[in-house]
Amino acid sequence: MKAGRSRVPVLARRFLARRRWVLVRLAGWSLLESTQTFLGGYGVAMALDRGFLAGHTGIGLVWLAVAAVAIVLGGSATGGTFRGLADLVEPLRDGLVRRVAAGALVEAIDAPARAADGAVVSRLTNQSEIARDSFAGLVLVTRSFVFTALGALFGLAALAPELLVVVVPPLVLGLGLFLATLAPMAARQRAFLDADEALSARLGMVATGLRDVLAGGAHDSVAARTHALIDAEARAARSLARWAGARAIALGVAGQLPVLLLLVTAPWLLDRGLTAGALLGALTYLTQALLPALHTLMHALGAAGTRLLVVLDRLTAGPTVTPAAARRVAGSTGASGGPPRVRLHRVTFAYGPSAAPVLRDLDLSVEPGEHLVVVGPSGIGKSTLTAIVAGVLAPDRGEVYVDGRPVRPVGGDPSRLRVLIPQQAYVFTGSVRENLHYLCPDGASTSALTASADAVGLLPLIDRLGGLDAPVDPASLSQGERQLIALGRAHLSPAPLVLLDEATCHLDPVAERRAEQAFAQRPGTLIVVAHRISSARRADRVLVLDGVHAVCGTHHELLERSSLYRDLVGDWHAERI
Amino acid sequence: MAATRRTADRAEQAPTDGTGRLLIGAVRHSAGRTAAAFGCSAGSAAVAIALPAVLGHTLDLLLDDAAGARRAVALCAILIVAEVVFDASEALLGGIITARTAAWLRRLGIDHVLSLAPHRAAERCTPGDLVTRLTGNVAEASTAPVTAANGVATLFVPLGGLIALALIDIRLFAVFLAGLPLLAWLLRAFVRDTSDSVTRYQRVQADIAGRLVEALGGARTIAAAGSSARELERILAPLPELGNQGRRMWHVYGRAMAGAGILVPLLTTAVLAVGGVRLTHGDLTVGELLAASRYAVLAAGLGAVVGQINALVRSRAAGRRTAELLAVPSMRSGTDPLPVDGPGRLELRGVTVVRDGTPVLRDVDLIVPGGTTTAVVGHSGAGKSTLAAVAGRLTDVDAGTVLLDGVPLARIAPERLRREVGYAFERPALFGDTIAGAIAFGPYACSPGEIEIAAEAAGADGFIRLLPKGYAAPLDTAPLSGGELQRLGLARAFAHAGRLLVLDDATSSLDSVTELRVGRALVRDVRAGTRLLIAHRASSAARADRVVWLEDGRVRALGTHEVLWEDPGYRAVFADPGEVPGAREDPGYRAAFADPDETADGSAAGAAPDSVGEAR
Repeated sequence: MKAGRSRVPVLARRFLARRRWVLVRLAGWSLLESTQTFLGGYGVAMALDRGFLAGHTGIGLVWLAVAAVAIVLGGSATGGTFRGLADLVEPLRDGLVRRVAAGALVEAIDAPARAADGAVVSRLTNQSEIARDSFAGLVLVTRSFVFTALGALFGLAALAPELLVVVVPPLVLGLGLFLATLAPMAARQRAFLDADEALSARLGMVATGLRDVLAGGAHDSVAARTHALIDAEARAARSLARWAGARAIALGVAGQLPVLLLLVTAPWLLDRGLTAGALLGALTYLTQALLPALHTLMHALGAAGTRLLVVLDRLTAGPTVTPAAARRVAGSTGASGGPPRVRLHRVTFAYGPSAAPVLRDLDLSVEPGEHLVVVGPSGIGKSTLTAIVAGVLAPDRGEVYVDGRPVRPVGGDPSRLRVLIPQQAYVFTGSVRENLHYLCPDGASTSALTASADAVGLLPLIDRLGGLDAPVDPASLSQGERQLIALGRAHLSPAPLVLLDEATCHLDPVAERRAEQAFAQRPGTLIVVAHRISSARRADRVLVLDGVHAVCGTHHELLERSSLYRDLVGDWHAERI
Repeated sequence: MAATRRTADRAEQAPTDGTGRLLIGAVRHSAGRTAAAFGCSAGSAAVAIALPAVLGHTLDLLLDDAAGARRAVALCAILIVAEVVFDASEALLGGIITARTAAWLRRLGIDHVLSLAPHRAAERCTPGDLVTRLTGNVAEASTAPVTAANGVATLFVPLGGLIALALIDIRLFAVFLAGLPLLAWLLRAFVRDTSDSVTRYQRVQADIAGRLVEALGGARTIAAAGSSARELERILAPLPELGNQGRRMWHVYGRAMAGAGILVPLLTTAVLAVGGVRLTHGDLTVGELLAASRYAVLAAGLGAVVGQINALVRSRAAGRRTAELLAVPSMRSGTDPLPVDGPGRLELRGVTVVRDGTPVLRDVDLIVPGGTTTAVVGHSGAGKSTLAAVAGRLTDVDAGTVLLDGVPLARIAPERLRREVGYAFERPALFGDTIAGAIAFGPYACSPGEIEIAAEAAGADGFIRLLPKGYAAPLDTAPLSGGELQRLGLARAFAHAGRLLVLDDATSSLDSVTELRVGRALVRDVRAGTRLLIAHRASSAARADRVVWLEDGRVRALGTHEVLWEDPGYRAVFADPGEVPGAREDPGYRAAFADPDETADGSAAGAAPDSVGEAR
């Protein structure tokens, strides 16, 4: 957010330009409302001059009745105003929600480890609501001020043009002062919101880590840092209060000074023929219309305006992203028939330029139809390897071929070529069938669906849920049940290459074996990242990653060649080897 | 609002036993400023009431070209300037008082929260709730002094307006009073079915949020399937409905606004009409008419009093949520030292801990000799974590005593206790700006060398070096898996290891290889002392010198893993909870309910039958 200028002005201009007609309609209704202001002063002046002061009570009452009708008419115009407001505000919210959802999704896909936090929900609900409410408030208040001022100034001109000479200069001066406070106030408001957010984040950290603070004996340092943030927030709030004081003075100049000037110049105005009614009308405009409108304008612009800017800035930070639709290059991407060969040539990959590579010069060849299991300590690059084979990550150096073709760029629907099932099984709210069809670009028959579900051991769960078309609530499923659904989905897909990245870790050993055997019997090439060493026993070959070397071979070869593999297996199964 | 004796003991003189007292305390904290704010507010109110009359009188003098006009204008000028100055000071003082009050309440709150036993805070509220209480709730509560100071003025101005209206002409007063309920009734007709659309709107919003969170959780799958565009469509499917509900909300709101917008102007016009008739009869001057119309507007501000009272009620409710937090009794700290060079002998004597009326530890007697490693095992709910918490005084006991090297924990000075007792948890909360800072977090700072040694022992050094910037990587953006988080928590505990180290399921997310390495390093590389580890895997228990087997809050048996393994009930502890122990002879059972590594670990101990060889 600090880097680069805010994109809000550009986006705002584009947003408003596209809704020119909505603005025109809004202005039309507002103009109708402003006749209420106009007649509020003019009617009083006329009622006095032509009616009550001239001894014609009836005429006075008629003028007041006209003013009253204008008030009621103005009230009914408000309905139209709000329709226009909705046409302006709802699209804004739609756009923000769309942007937040797309941004969060793309971000999560780029860095899955950091995904799914409360901040996204807050952006989607709270912050987009703050934007919606503040924007609506801003439009309402600004519009109301502009048209009230128009009505009042026209009224003053109609009563006596000299009145404008007296009223306009202090009004403009006060508004100028107010506008001058806007920028510094916005900066203070932003500083305050930042301080408030930093404090909230800190308090959240302390609240979740109370046990750790106590256990770590770090009470004093934690308290001191939190106090510092509390004080920083209070300092920001005080600074804001000082500008609120300045704003009150601007309000005084714009709203009250014209009244005073009117009194001071009254003898001169009366000499020039200003009537008593006109003077009363002018004072009515100033005290009953302009002053309240100014009051709300200044309070709303200061607070809501800045809040809106800050929130919009936050919500629109970063480039506009739309997830790329799968390029429709049908046919060209499907596998050429049989199970594909997977070949990695001198593949090197690091998370970031200054990080040590996770994979270094890795060579690997997986034969068509082979079942390969990858083992090694956590964090050694097993998941990275599957992501590279799937084409989700691009290696820093080296080439990856599946079925003789480079895996990147991923063309067409990748599910025709390969499927990758990660440890975190994805099940969405929808029917069981929808969930299982997820990786089938061309759909699948119910019998194929049932067969796959049976193969991986999913049928009992489907029965429990109430059949293929029963709705699934992901939150009510255990991790293992979700993994079963993801496995069924992968088994059903037409892809000739299946990558299982600890996709069975939440299953019990029996269920895991059943699922792995189902995939071994499924035609195609299979690469499994093992969570339990027992998976290695089921493989044609095993790849051992230990961070320095990668050794590949059959179970028995590896017992000879890899001390780590011996360690892994030997530690638990020594007497049976 | 019940102040407990422990709270009363606290050194701080804060009123913690009630919302009223808390808010009065807040007012007292800024007493001078609050009085000044009240002064400004009262002054502003007085000017607001006087000004229409003076203005009207001045208008009359000006219209008559009378002698006192100049002086009257000067008086108007003084009043107007005074009003502006009062308003500006009120805004300034109001902001400052609110900021001071909020800071005071928050400092009080966080200090108190940090003095609580963690489980007490957790019983009272979730972390999110706690943050809300100290941020949003405090912000609302701290407006109370200013709202109260201004509230008096808010009440006086409409009342003053009403009285002034009566003084000018009793008929105008009557018109106003008669019109008020009539128009209020008219207003009510406008405002109906408001809350319904809001609820529906929020429901649709929650639906979209739910779909998004679901999809974010499946980010890896979506990335691999290349289905993000399809996902976005699915997430945003309810958006049109959200728009519909939103439009309904604006429609309802617009009608309410229209009603409110005509109420006061119509009332004022009615007052002007009657006033005009009186004017024709010579009973009222033009200036008085001006004043009357202004007073009618002021009197109509009576509605704002309701808003002010509402604000006070809300402040008080928010203050109550802060006061509730402060009423939770804090942990009392001791002052005794520990014997120098004690071996770290831990002793529990008749320890009972009760949670929600149910005992979770019942009369536990246990001695952990200094320098030994003791594993605590048992089914979930057996009281393992509570035992871990009791061992280092993360919670106080309800009966009995816990002693470290012969000194009751409750009497040891906290800074001594925390230096000597370290913890690692299943899900550690990390503090610090960087990875190194997170490991260094504790009762004293560690050197970079110590940090790296500890990280190495915890099996964390490898992945830390793979992070961009390594040890200097910022903690908040480092992508850490559950296992990596655990290893950082272990490194933190290792770096500060004292005479007792408690590992509460601190290796549960590590894969078998890493766990083995950490287990070995713990014995070899970390400062020698007593170790108490809560274990779920048989392999961990097998490495310990002794095993404490807990069941239903009691020590069921104490001994070495090898000896205990003879007991089928003990073996069942490592299987899925609720399994029938008799099924153990069935190889399928073993394969199904025990991790292969654990089972084999047991077999290494010499007792388990061969069972997991079927995979070939």
